[in-house]
Amino acid sequence: MPKKKRSAEDFAEEIRSHLELEAEELRSEGFSPEEASRRAHVEFGSVRAAQERFYLRDRIQALDSIVRDLRYALRSLAHSPGFAITAVLTLALGIGANTAVFSVMNAVLLRSLPVSDPDRLVYLRTTNVPKGTGTISSRETFSYPVYQALRDQHSALSDVIAYVPLSVNKVAVRYGSQPEEASGDMVSGAFFTGLGVKIPHGRSFTEQEEKEHAPVAVISYNYWTRRFSRNPGVLGTTLFVNGVGFTVVGISGEGFEGLEAGGSTDFWIPLQSRPELNAYGNAVEDGKIYITNPTWWCLRLIGRLAPGVSKQQAASALNPLFQRAAYIGLGTPAAGERPPTLQFEEARGFPGYSEEYGRPLRMLMAMVGFVLLIALTNVAMLLMARNSTRRREFSMRLALGAGRRDLLRQLLAESLVLVISGGLLAWTFAVLATRALASWAQIEASLAPDRTVLLFALVTLVVAALLFGLAPLRIALSAGPALSLKTSAATSNTEAGRSRAARIMVALQMTLCVVLLVGAGLLIRTLRNLENTPLGLRVEGLVVFGLNPHVTSVPQGKAFYVDLISRLRQLPGVESVTFMEERIGSWSSNNSDMTVDGRLPDVPNGSSRTVRANVVGPAFFTTLGVPVLSGRDFADSDTETSPHVGIINEQFAKRFFPNRNPLGHRIGTEDGRYQMTVVGVVKDHKYRSIDEEPIPMAWYEYAQIPIVGRMDVEMRVHGDPLAILPSARKVVQQLDPNLPLIKPMTQRAQYDLTISSQTLFARLAGCFGVLAVVLVATGLYGTLAYRVNRRTAEIGVRMALGAGRSQVVWMILRDNLLLTAVGVLAGVPLALVMGRALSSSLYGVQPVDALTFALAILGVIIVAFVASAAPASRAAGVDPLKALRTE
Amino acid sequence: MPTQENNDDRIALLQGTLDLLILKTLLLGPCHGQGVARSIQRQSEEVLFVDHGSLYLALQRLEDKNLIHAKWGVSENNRKARFYSLTAKGRAELLEKTSQWKRLTRAMGLILEPQREEG
Repeated sequence: MPKKKRSAEDFAEEIRSHLELEAEELRSEGFSPEEASRRAHVEFGSVRAAQERFYLRDRIQALDSIVRDLRYALRSLAHSPGFAITAVLTLALGIGANTAVFSVMNAVLLRSLPVSDPDRLVYLRTTNVPKGTGTISSRETFSYPVYQALRDQHSALSDVIAYVPLSVNKVAVRYGSQPEEASGDMVSGAFFTGLGVKIPHGRSFTEQEEKEHAPVAVISYNYWTRRFSRNPGVLGTTLFVNGVGFTVVGISGEGFEGLEAGGSTDFWIPLQSRPELNAYGNAVEDGKIYITNPTWWCLRLIGRLAPGVSKQQAASALNPLFQRAAYIGLGTPAAGERPPTLQFEEARGFPGYSEEYGRPLRMLMAMVGFVLLIALTNVAMLLMARNSTRRREFSMRLALGAGRRDLLRQLLAESLVLVISGGLLAWTFAVLATRALASWAQIEASLAPDRTVLLFALVTLVVAALLFGLAPLRIALSAGPALSLKTSAATSNTEAGRSRAARIMVALQMTLCVVLLVGAGLLIRTLRNLENTPLGLRVEGLVVFGLNPHVTSVPQGKAFYVDLISRLRQLPGVESVTFMEERIGSWSSNNSDMTVDGRLPDVPNGSSRTVRANVVGPAFFTTLGVPVLSGRDFADSDTETSPHVGIINEQFAKRFFPNRNPLGHRIGTEDGRYQMTVVGVVKDHKYRSIDEEPIPMAWYEYAQIPIVGRMDVEMRVHGDPLAILPSARKVVQQLDPNLPLIKPMTQRAQYDLTISSQTLFARLAGCFGVLAVVLVATGLYGTLAYRVNRRTAEIGVRMALGAGRSQVVWMILRDNLLLTAVGVLAGVPLALVMGRALSSSLYGVQPVDALTFALAILGVIIVAFVASAAPASRAAGVDPLKALRTE
Repeated sequence: MPTQENNDDRIALLQGTLDLLILKTLLLGPCHGQGVARSIQRQSEEVLFVDHGSLYLALQRLEDKNLIHAKWGVSENNRKARFYSLTAKGRAELLEKTSQWKRLTRAMGLILEPQREEG
């Protein structure tokens, strides 16, 4: 019966009464009242100290018992180090992997933009674009006139902010004398102020600076750290971008890395009007850059909703203005043309990223969650097995007078020790794994775990602690004190070892293992398929790099590339050299409609007329190794003055020249300004990425198109492609000492980048599959080994009574195999669901892939057998005499 | 090790002996804390010194262990006081501890003064 705790007041009262009693006694011994009271106090000593000691007593007792429990827990875990290490490692792996995947998901999907009031920010979207325009993304990019019109109103959107990268990848910069690369955006003057991004050092841009295209730059905190070691002296110095000097006026706050998720912008400059700073580093076409070319929709726009205006209200208010502005410089819409409609999308996260990584990440999270579930059940099973063998200990202690609460406290202390050490290890593991993940996924955004991630890890740990604390309790408490009196090992452990909870857990683990293996199998087969997809060109031996020469006129640019190509061809080991406006295998493509024989071709209803185009140098297809099916490749003899020629692919020929020989026909741009004669048809090949389907394509000859600026050089060499780069760099520097090679890499590596997220996905899923198998195997082995150990006496009895070794082995195996069968049966439908959910991430393999399913099931069965083999053989090796004697 | 200065004839109680003395004192009948302290001092001919703070904590500890039982009451001279009395468990503990103590002192005596046992 718990006694009511004595209050401190009661204690003080007792001391007061003591002092009075003592004083009275002293008075009766002849002391004066004052002297008696004084002596009583002196004799007692410090009253306050006594009271403090009384107050602390309870707390010290509690602390003492915690320390005692923890020490007991440590001691009892140290008695079974195998169990303790397995449990801690299992926990660390499960929780660590979850935390790592979660922190990537958190950074990419959950964390909102580091701006003020992100809920009021919207990305601008359009349903479509007017005819005759080119886009970066047909829904997400706008023309400069549209931006101007929307910027100059303030009723529906208080700010409209444009931003556009200076290059698809990185742009050539120079700080001091060293040429290097960085990623930069051109932005509105209101970029930082409108978004509410803090500039702790220096200042942000003004709208005046946008109008004047002022040569000022703000660098990001990361770039400042990485490149300038956080030297505040960088303010006021000059950063050269494509040879143009910009004064650094500000450093953005930590955590803001631009509006493109996953990428990180190094610097921002106001929107520029110089040809060498065209949007996306594109070559200047026909003397026009992004500001002067209303047919090029390349600006991304973000807006802040005016106070009190909803998304729908803003959209309907702005649409008339938008539709007028959309046709500025384009003439009137064609009859029957559907005008574009403005829409808004919430800007809380990073939308582009959600599409690319959102689904895979959610699937990964689910898979790694399964792994965690396996890990947790594993530890719970191990604990249960361990505790069931400790039932006699428990009941002995109950019989000796230990309270159930003491027992409970001590079990909780044990799980606490396990969970805390597992948790600490998990956090270390998670930090490392997150770093590895970021570099694998080529996510440049900061993935450092934040408070959300920490919270996630802690919640997982608490759940784990509760699970482990409570699951084994039933077993412990079900052992009444009587058990220790009546039983022997032979009978006390059987039913506990076979408890229903343990059986359910084994079956559940098998189910999850099947699901994970199927998922991993499907994704790995997808990766194999992607890796083995024929590209349609001989990619081995190709190396590619970008150049952005400082040229201002078309003839100067042409001379540069003619000179360059002839010099590169002379390098030893070089088989052929060509160049292209758009690097192949880099996701980007230039899409538009094209005329055939002077008019837009008729296409069957609903099918697309879109043609992908590229501007390339001589011997392009020969260099790439793309077979020319009929006609010829571009040649040095194709010049500005010779007849203009073009080359198309099979798809183009099939769609726009059905049953005709395309050679000799004329194709051209939609506005009719460039016309060329088809001189060759090449085989379809992969253009933007590995997993694309071919669409009609056309190639222009570089010499015949008035564009200048950035090009990517493609070289076919003997031997290691990258080995040519130093001498190629020397050649480039002979022409211009300040010109860096932009993103030099093998063409194979460039194509592989297009499947990097699939690669990551498959590798991680594979890791999770392996992890699941290992966990299931250790868990199964551990519990079974325990069980066999405790059943030694029973086995001895059975053998003494005539049971054969095979019967004993079967007895041990039977249970596990039965549970495996149940688990597999439950796992198959779940795996079907998994396959369905994965289907959009698969390539060349069906969600219901018989081979994958068969392998997964086989894998689980093998795991069950292997994990059971050792304990079973130990059971078979039991010497009945010895077993009975030990009992 | 600093030597403890002791200009007092009284001896501080050994760890654990206070409990035994309290139980013994209460064997004579219920008593309050001040009475227990006085009684120990008097019976030991003023040799043993009882730290009063420790005494009350010891009383509390014994009460927590159900060896003694406490109740507020009125002293012989009409003062309010908390009276302690032995429980059955306390009596058993006293017996056990007393015999332990006797064995201990005998053993100590054997070691400290062996000659006398020889003779």
